[in-house]
Amino acid sequence: MAPPSAELSHLPKADGSANFSFGGYTITAAVNGPVEAQRRDENPFEALVDVNVRPAAGVGGTAERQLEAILQPALRHLIAIRNFPRCVVQVTLQVMEAPENAYVNSKVMQPRLNLGIIPSLLHAAMLGLLTAAIPLNTVASATCLAITNADEGTAIKVDPSRTEIDQATSVHVLGFTADGDLLLAESEGSFTAEEWDRVLQTAENVCCRGQETGNDAEMGGYGAESENVLHFMRSVLEAKAAESLHWR
Amino acid sequence: MPREAEPSLSERTFTLQAISEGLRVLAKVSAEVTVPFPDRPFDGIFQITSELGPMVAPSYEVNRPTETEVLLARLLEKTIRRSGALDTESLCLVAGQKCWSVRVDLHVLSADGNLIDSACFAVVAALRHFRKPDTSIEGETLTVYTPAEREPVPLSWLHSPFCATFDFFGDEGDIVVVDTTWLEEQLRVASCTFSLNKHGEICQISKLGGRPIEATLVIQCAQMALDKVKEFTDLLDAKLAEDAKRRDKGGLMAELSAENDR
Repeated sequence: MAPPSAELSHLPKADGSANFSFGGYTITAAVNGPVEAQRRDENPFEALVDVNVRPAAGVGGTAERQLEAILQPALRHLIAIRNFPRCVVQVTLQVMEAPENAYVNSKVMQPRLNLGIIPSLLHAAMLGLLTAAIPLNTVASATCLAITNADEGTAIKVDPSRTEIDQATSVHVLGFTADGDLLLAESEGSFTAEEWDRVLQTAENVCCRGQETGNDAEMGGYGAESENVLHFMRSVLEAKAAESLHWR
Repeated sequence: MPREAEPSLSERTFTLQAISEGLRVLAKVSAEVTVPFPDRPFDGIFQITSELGPMVAPSYEVNRPTETEVLLARLLEKTIRRSGALDTESLCLVAGQKCWSVRVDLHVLSADGNLIDSACFAVVAALRHFRKPDTSIEGETLTVYTPAEREPVPLSWLHSPFCATFDFFGDEGDIVVVDTTWLEEQLRVASCTFSLNKHGEICQISKLGGRPIEATLVIQCAQMALDKVKEFTDLLDAKLAEDAKRRDKGGLMAELSAENDR
């Protein structure tokens, strides 16, 4: 699978923007904030986080609303909302491209949850928030895992493709903060408690691996082939900062 | 104004971005088989939807169309749909029962003036770039082939209309500017949009309010619009040819073919 790629601050009018692509998904995030909240939804103690997911084709429906409902609490935990009472942080996530399967003609309206897109949405939102210079408590990354029933027992696939998700018995999305705390967990399909434990451990390895330096033994473990997104985010932001300070 | 158009790189996503400084538009085309409208059994369904979200500016609210958005949608409708650029009869599969529904979603990512021209360019480009799944009818049964089975086919496209917008400045409205920025648009006294194709066939002219303009100036503008549209046509043709060349080598059909070159 191609490594993740990102473009930062490419939209001139938004406070922060990022384009993140990984695993066939391309998401553009635009972040505006903190801006004044409307009277009807202002909160006197904290900032409101307004997440808006827009599909590439068609108008947003129940599936998009559900994605928003999953992402909104996660982002609320990351943003220092207490610093901005009566304000709103607008996060707009536009799906630019989604992986297409050449063997199936897809329907435009699929009112069904697509868990595979959540990591890309979260990462795009993170990069957008970071470029918008919105104070954050911590950063986070997420990963998608699928449990497939192979002949030699169940196997966990990190960053599954669209076909692998279709064939999987259960799909899980887990997000972790930079400190290694569980931020979001969504699952679909049938699985046992032991499988869930394995998924949790694998996801933790994928998201939090390499946080401590000199932890090379872990690298050979689960999900070693998938890149650590937090590292990737750090490197693109470093490059962006270096480029912005180039005039000095 | 679209100085640069970039067809999407992924093999089967038929999107196209019209990129210029400060302006990004993404048009995405999708097609599916549906039931035609009962009053038009021989026509397919073709619709264009445009959205301006908080991505453009925080003042744009979700699901609350502003005046700009409504005007943009109407102009695109008049230019592309009502001018018969897409042959909707060719989208009919089984009269009164099955037809293609082609839908263009226009997402404005950022706008810095001259939105109409770029939006129109993006929609036309995306439609010409788009390939819909191939179909066949045997008796009563309709088969829709997946891209793996049969190479998708282009839409039956009749002509490519483009928009050219002129903004007028000065007390008399005698200073004409093409390709204005957002700031310049705030200062204009009038504006006029011509929609035409490279043969000089005008689809519509809209001048919504503003200061009255000399008739001779309008005719001059129309002449200029033709040159602009020819420029757009050349740009789009070049980009599509480039993209077709890139797609041609390899591809799924080449992969599946058992033929070997001797």
